[in-house]
Amino acid sequence: MDVIAVFAPFFAFVLAGLLNRQIGDRGCQIVTCVGLLIAAAASIKLFLDFALGDQMPYVRVLAEWVAVGDFKVSWALRVDMLSVVMMNVITIVSSCVHIYSVGYMSHDEAKGRFMAYLSLFTFAMLMLVSADNLLQLFFGWEGVGLASYLLIGFWNEKHSANAAAQKAFIVNRIGDFGLTLGIFTIFLVFGSIEFETIFANVADQAETAFVFFGHEFHALTLIGLLLFIGATGKSAQLGLHVWLPDAMEGPTPVSALIHAATMVTAGVFLLARFSPVYEYAPFALAVVTVVGALTAFIAATIGLTQFDIKRVIAYSTMSQLGYMFFALGVSAYGAAMFHLMTHAFFKALLFLGAGSVIHALSGEQDMRKMGGIWKKIPVTYVLMWIGSLALAGVPFFAGYYSKDIMLEAAWARDTGVAHFAYWLGIAAAFMTAFYSWRLLFMTFHGKPRASAEVMHHVHESPPVMLVPLFVLALGALMAGAVFYQPFVGSAGGHEASAAHHTEPAHESPERWNRQAFWGPAIQVRPGNDTLEVAHNVADWVKRMPTVVGVLGIVLAFVMYILQPRLPGRMKEIFSAPHTLFYNKWFWDEIYQFVLVRPALLLGRMLSLGDRKVIDAVGPDGGARASGKIATALSHFQSGYIFQYAFVMMMALVAVLSWFAFRMG
Amino acid sequence: MILAAVFYLFAFILLLSGFLVITARNPVHSVLFLILAFFNAAGLFVLLGAEFIAMILVIVYVGAVAVLFLFVVMMLDIDFAHLRKGAMQYVPLGLLVGVILLTELVISVSAWQFNSLSQQNLAVPEIGLNAATNTQALGAVLYTQYVYAFQLAGLILLVAMIGAIVLTHRVRPGVRKQSIESQNARRPEEAMEILKVQSGAGIS
Amino acid sequence: MSEFGFLDFNLVPLLPEVFLALSAMGFLLIGVSFGDEARRVIPWYALLALLMTGVLVSQVSFDDAIVLGGMFKADAYSGFVKLLIIGGVMATLGLSMRYLEQEHIDQMEFYVLVLLASVGMMFMVSAVNLLSLYMALELQSLSLYVLAAFNRQSPRAAEAGVKYFALGGLASGMMLFGISLIYGFTGSLDFGTLTASMMVMQPVPFAVIFGLVFLLAGLAFKLSAAPFHMWTPDVYEGAPTAVTALFAMVPKLAALALLMRILFEPFAYLVPQWEQIIIFLAVMSMIVGAFGAIAQSNIKRLIAYSSIGHIGYALIGVAAASEGGINAVLLHMLIYMAMTAGTFAVIMAMRRGGRSVERIDDLAGLSRSQPILAYALGILMFSMAGVPPFAGFFGKLMIFQAAIGAELYALAIFGVVASVVAAYYYLRIVKVMFFDEAVLMLDLNVLSGPQRFILACSVAFVLFFILSPSAFIDSTQLAAAALFPGR
Repeated sequence: MDVIAVFAPFFAFVLAGLLNRQIGDRGCQIVTCVGLLIAAAASIKLFLDFALGDQMPYVRVLAEWVAVGDFKVSWALRVDMLSVVMMNVITIVSSCVHIYSVGYMSHDEAKGRFMAYLSLFTFAMLMLVSADNLLQLFFGWEGVGLASYLLIGFWNEKHSANAAAQKAFIVNRIGDFGLTLGIFTIFLVFGSIEFETIFANVADQAETAFVFFGHEFHALTLIGLLLFIGATGKSAQLGLHVWLPDAMEGPTPVSALIHAATMVTAGVFLLARFSPVYEYAPFALAVVTVVGALTAFIAATIGLTQFDIKRVIAYSTMSQLGYMFFALGVSAYGAAMFHLMTHAFFKALLFLGAGSVIHALSGEQDMRKMGGIWKKIPVTYVLMWIGSLALAGVPFFAGYYSKDIMLEAAWARDTGVAHFAYWLGIAAAFMTAFYSWRLLFMTFHGKPRASAEVMHHVHESPPVMLVPLFVLALGALMAGAVFYQPFVGSAGGHEASAAHHTEPAHESPERWNRQAFWGPAIQVRPGNDTLEVAHNVADWVKRMPTVVGVLGIVLAFVMYILQPRLPGRMKEIFSAPHTLFYNKWFWDEIYQFVLVRPALLLGRMLSLGDRKVIDAVGPDGGARASGKIATALSHFQSGYIFQYAFVMMMALVAVLSWFAFRMG
Repeated sequence: MILAAVFYLFAFILLLSGFLVITARNPVHSVLFLILAFFNAAGLFVLLGAEFIAMILVIVYVGAVAVLFLFVVMMLDIDFAHLRKGAMQYVPLGLLVGVILLTELVISVSAWQFNSLSQQNLAVPEIGLNAATNTQALGAVLYTQYVYAFQLAGLILLVAMIGAIVLTHRVRPGVRKQSIESQNARRPEEAMEILKVQSGAGIS
Repeated sequence: MSEFGFLDFNLVPLLPEVFLALSAMGFLLIGVSFGDEARRVIPWYALLALLMTGVLVSQVSFDDAIVLGGMFKADAYSGFVKLLIIGGVMATLGLSMRYLEQEHIDQMEFYVLVLLASVGMMFMVSAVNLLSLYMALELQSLSLYVLAAFNRQSPRAAEAGVKYFALGGLASGMMLFGISLIYGFTGSLDFGTLTASMMVMQPVPFAVIFGLVFLLAGLAFKLSAAPFHMWTPDVYEGAPTAVTALFAMVPKLAALALLMRILFEPFAYLVPQWEQIIIFLAVMSMIVGAFGAIAQSNIKRLIAYSSIGHIGYALIGVAAASEGGINAVLLHMLIYMAMTAGTFAVIMAMRRGGRSVERIDDLAGLSRSQPILAYALGILMFSMAGVPPFAGFFGKLMIFQAAIGAELYALAIFGVVASVVAAYYYLRIVKVMFFDEAVLMLDLNVLSGPQRFILACSVAFVLFFILSPSAFIDSTQLAAAALFPGR
C-alpha cells in the first residue's frame, strides 16, 4: 500500500515525461490523473488501517543505498501516523489539482509537460514525508525545490516568471544550507542520520555541547536552530519569505498545490518529525514561537493592502504558516499538524477558486478591476465563501477548530513568549477575517470595474474544474469537526469543559484518542503537554479568536459595501503604516541593498580582473606604487604575463612571510 | 688560500655580470655579459673538480645557446627600451618583494644547525669513484642509477623537438622540390610520345 | 652486471608507460611516412593504444614495487589514478577528432603530443623521488605548452601558449628552488629517505619548510589553485577547445595525485605546517572560483573558474589529511572529470554557420532548437552546482564530511557557502538555455558519434551515480588506503 502511494505518481511522471510525444497531451493528462487517484486511494486505505484498524508504525526498507564505513543509508519508507497524514493531504489535494489543471491549462501548449512536472513534484513530496533518514528527506526536499523551480518558471516566456523562479531557488538554497549544516551536526552528534537511531538517543545527548570558535553551544539547540533555518526557507517564514509572493507568477494550480497546501508545509512537517529533538531544546522552541508569531502578524498586515488576488492569498498562506510554527513552538505539534491539514483543504480551495475567477475574467488578477460578478459565477462564489469562512475561523468550519486549538495552546503554555504569540495571533486573526472579506467584496460585489468586453466573457468554469473544488470544499467544511478528537483532543478521551465545541457526531473508535492516534510519531515531554492544558483555559481565551474574526468581517462589510469611500480615507489617515504594509515592510528592498548588490559588486570586482586584484594586494606593500602599476598596466600591451607572474610571486612571499612570522 | 681567492673572484664576477645582464641598455651587451657569466660559472665548476660539467657549460651554453641569443637579438628589431619602460613600473614593488624574500631566506638559512643526518643521506656515488676521469664516472651513473631520469630527459627533448616543428613548420604549396626517385622511375614511354605525322596534312 | 647489482632493473611495473611511449613514437613514424593517409587512422590507433595501456595498468600487479633506483613506484594508488588519466585522455580524444577536423588542425602531432603528455602524467603519479617527479612533470608540461598553441592560425592560441609557457617556466623555477632547498638541508631526494629523515629531524629545519612552500607553489600553478591560477582563464579561452577539454580534465588530476603523494609520503610529519598552506590555497580557490565566474560571458572562461573552484573543494579534502579525505578527493575528481567531459561535448556542439562560438548567450533558446542537448547540459550544470541527487553532490558531500571528520568546521562551512554562491552561475546557464530567446540559432547535428557517446555516458553517470555509489567509492577507498600503509 505504502509503496503504491509513493511510487504511483513517479510512474505517472515517467510515463508522461518520457513518452510525452507518443501518448499526446490527452494521454499525459489521463496517466497522471489516474496515477494520482491510485495514490490517493492507497493513502486513504493506509489511513483507515491506522486510524480504525490496529496497524502499527513500521519501516519498509526498499534497497541499500550508500554504505561507506560507518555511514550506512538505505532507501526506506517510514510509515507512521505523521507520514500517513501527510501522504493523505498530499495525494488528495494533488489529485484535485491534477484534475483541475486539465481544465485550467486547456489553452496552454505544453499540457503534457505541466502534468509531468506536477506528478514529479508530488513524488518528491511523498519521498520527503515518508523518508526514514535525513539523506532521503534531503533528497525529497531538493526534489520539491527543483519541481517548484520548474513550475514557477513554467510560463518561461514571461520575464517575471523566470525571475521569480530563480529567486525562489536561490532563497531556498539559503534555507537548504541551514538544513545541510543541521544534517552534518546531527551526524556529528549521533553518528547516524537514521531517524530511529537519532530519536532513540536524544535523551543521552541532552547535555552534549560543542565548543566552536571559542563558544560553547548546546548541541540539540544548535540542531534545532539549523533545521529551523531549513524550514524557514521552505515554509516562507520571516526572513526567507520573499520568494513566496513572487512565486505566484506560476500557474494558479501550482500555487494551490505547492505554495499553499504541500511544499510550504514541509517545514512544519520537518519540525513535527523532529519533535523528540525539539523537546530537549527549549531555546530553539522559543525562537520558533517568536518567528512564527511575527510571520503570522506581519504577513497579515501586508495582506491587508495588496490588490493582486493571488498575492493576498499568498500572504494569507504565509500568515497561516506562521500560526503553525508558533503552535510547534509551544509543543502543540498535533495542533500544528491539524491546522496543516485543514489549511491544505481550504487554502487549496481558495486558490483554485481564485483561479476560477481569473479564468472567468480572461486572466485578470488585479482586484481593482473586478467586482460585480457574483451573479455570473455563483458556484465559484459560494465555494469562495466556504473557503473564506474556514480561513477566518468562523465556528463549525474547519479553520475554526484548528486555529482555536493553536491559540489556546499558545495561551496554555503560559510563558512570556507564548503570550506574545497569542496576542499577535489574535491580531492576525482579526486581520485575516478583514482581508478575506475585503477580497470577497472587491472581487464579487460592487460595480463591475472590468471592461465591458471582459465582463461579456465572464463564464462559470467547466465541471472538470468545479468537481475538485467540491471535494476540497467538503474538506473545508468537515475536516475540522471530524478529526478534532484524534488530532488534538484531550488524551482522556472526553472533554468536560469544552462545552462550546461541538463534539463529532459519531461515536469514537478505540484509536480515536490523541496519544494512541499519533503513537510514537510525535513525542512530547511530560511537562510540555500544552494540548492537554489547552482544553482547560479560561473561556475568554477560547472565545477571543471567534469574536475578533466576526469583528473583522463586520468591519470589511462596513468599509467595502456600506461606505465604499472609507478605505481611501483610511489610507490617508494611516498613510505611514499603509506605505509600510503596501511595500511589504521593504524586505525586498533591504535584501537588494544589503545582499544582492554587494554580491554582484564583489563578482564584478574580482572578474574585472586582474588589475583590481593587484589593487587589493598592493596596499599591503606600497599603496602608491600599486596604484601606478594598475594604471600603467592598462597601457602596457603585453604586460599581462608580468602581472600574473607578479601575483604568483607575491602570493609565494606572503605564504613564506606567514611561516617566518609564525615560527621565527 | 689561493683556491678561496679564486672562488671569490669567479663568484664576484659571476654576480656582477649577472646584474649587468639585466641592467645593460644595449641588448647585445646583455648577451655578452651573459656569456661572461657562463664562463665564470664554468670556472666555479672546475674549482669543484667537475671538469666535464664545466666543459659542457662552455660548449652548450656559450657555444650554442648564447650565440643563438646573439643572432636573435641582432636580427629581430625589438624595441627593448619600450619593453623595459613597462617593466620598470614593477621595480619598486619588485624590489620590496625581493628584499622580503631575501631576508626570509637568510633568516631561514642562518637559523639552521648542522645535522649529521643530512650528511649520511647524501648520495655517495658507489660506482666510478676510482674511475680515471670525471666523464667516465658520470657516464657510469647516468646509464645505471639514473637511467630512468635520463630516459625521461630524452622524452622531454623529443617533445621539445616535435613542438618546435609543429609550431613553426609550414607547408608552402608553391615550392618545387627535386624528387630523385621519381626522376629515376620515369620511363621513355611516359616522357615521350611519338607521333607519326602525315606529310602535307598539317597538324590538327 | 654484478657491479650494478643494487639497481632494480625490473621493467615490468613500467610496462604500461613504456608501451604508451613506444606507441607514441611509432605513430609519429607512421604519421611522417604516410602523411595524409595516416591522418584518418591515427586517432583510432591512439585510442587503441590507450585502451591497451589501460589493460596493462590493470594487469600489472601492484606489489608496491619501487624500481629503477628508487625512482618509480607502482601501487594501488598510482594504478587507480593512471586508469582515471587514461579514461580522461580517451574521452578527450573522442571529443577531439571531429573538432580538429572542423577547425582544420587535425595533424597527427596532436595525438602524439597528447599521448606523450599522458606518459608524463602517468610517470608523475608513480614518482617517488623529487628528481623523477620533476622530470615527469616537465614532460607533461612541455607537451601541454605546445598543445595550447596548437592552432597556429589563431593569435589567441599563440598568446595562450606563450602565457602558459612563460608562467609555467616561473612555476618550474619555484619548484626547482624548493627542491634544491629540501635537498640541501636533508641531503636526499628520495621519498623514503626523506620520510625517515623528517621523523628524526625534530624540529624540522626552517629552510625545509621554505622549500616545501616553494614546491607547493609550483604544484599549485599546475593545479591552477588560486592565487596561482591567473593563467587559467586566458589559456582555457585561447587554446583550441579540444585542448581545453584535456586541460580541464586530466593534468589537474595528475598534479593533485602527485601533490597528495608528496604530502602524505615524505612530508607526512609536517602536517600542521602544510595544512595551513593547503587551507590557504583552498579558501582562495573557492573565493576566486565562486565570484570570478559571475561576470563571465565566455563559456570556456566560465569553465576555467569552475575548475578553479572545484580544485578548491578538492584541496579541502587534502587538508583533512586523512584516508577519508584522499578517498573523497579521488571520488570528487572522478565525478568532476565525468561532468567536464559531457560539458565539453556540448561546448563543441556550439557552432553557428560552421564556426565555433563560445559566448554563453549563444546558448539562448537551446531548449527549443535542441532540447536533448539543453537537458543534458542542464543536468550537468545542476550536478556541477552540487544539487542532489546528481553525482556532483556526492563528491562535495564526501569532501565536507572528511573536513568535518578532521574538525575543520570553518573550512567545511566555507566550502558550503562557496558552493551556494557558485550555484548562481551554473543556474545562469540553465536560465539562458531555457528561458532566453534565441537571436540566432546554433547549427544542428554538429556532434559526431564519439562525441554523442561521451555526452551520453557523462549524463548517464551523473544521473545514475546515486543508484550505486559504492561501486566507485570502493575503488577510491582501495586507492586511498595505499597511501596509508599500516597507518
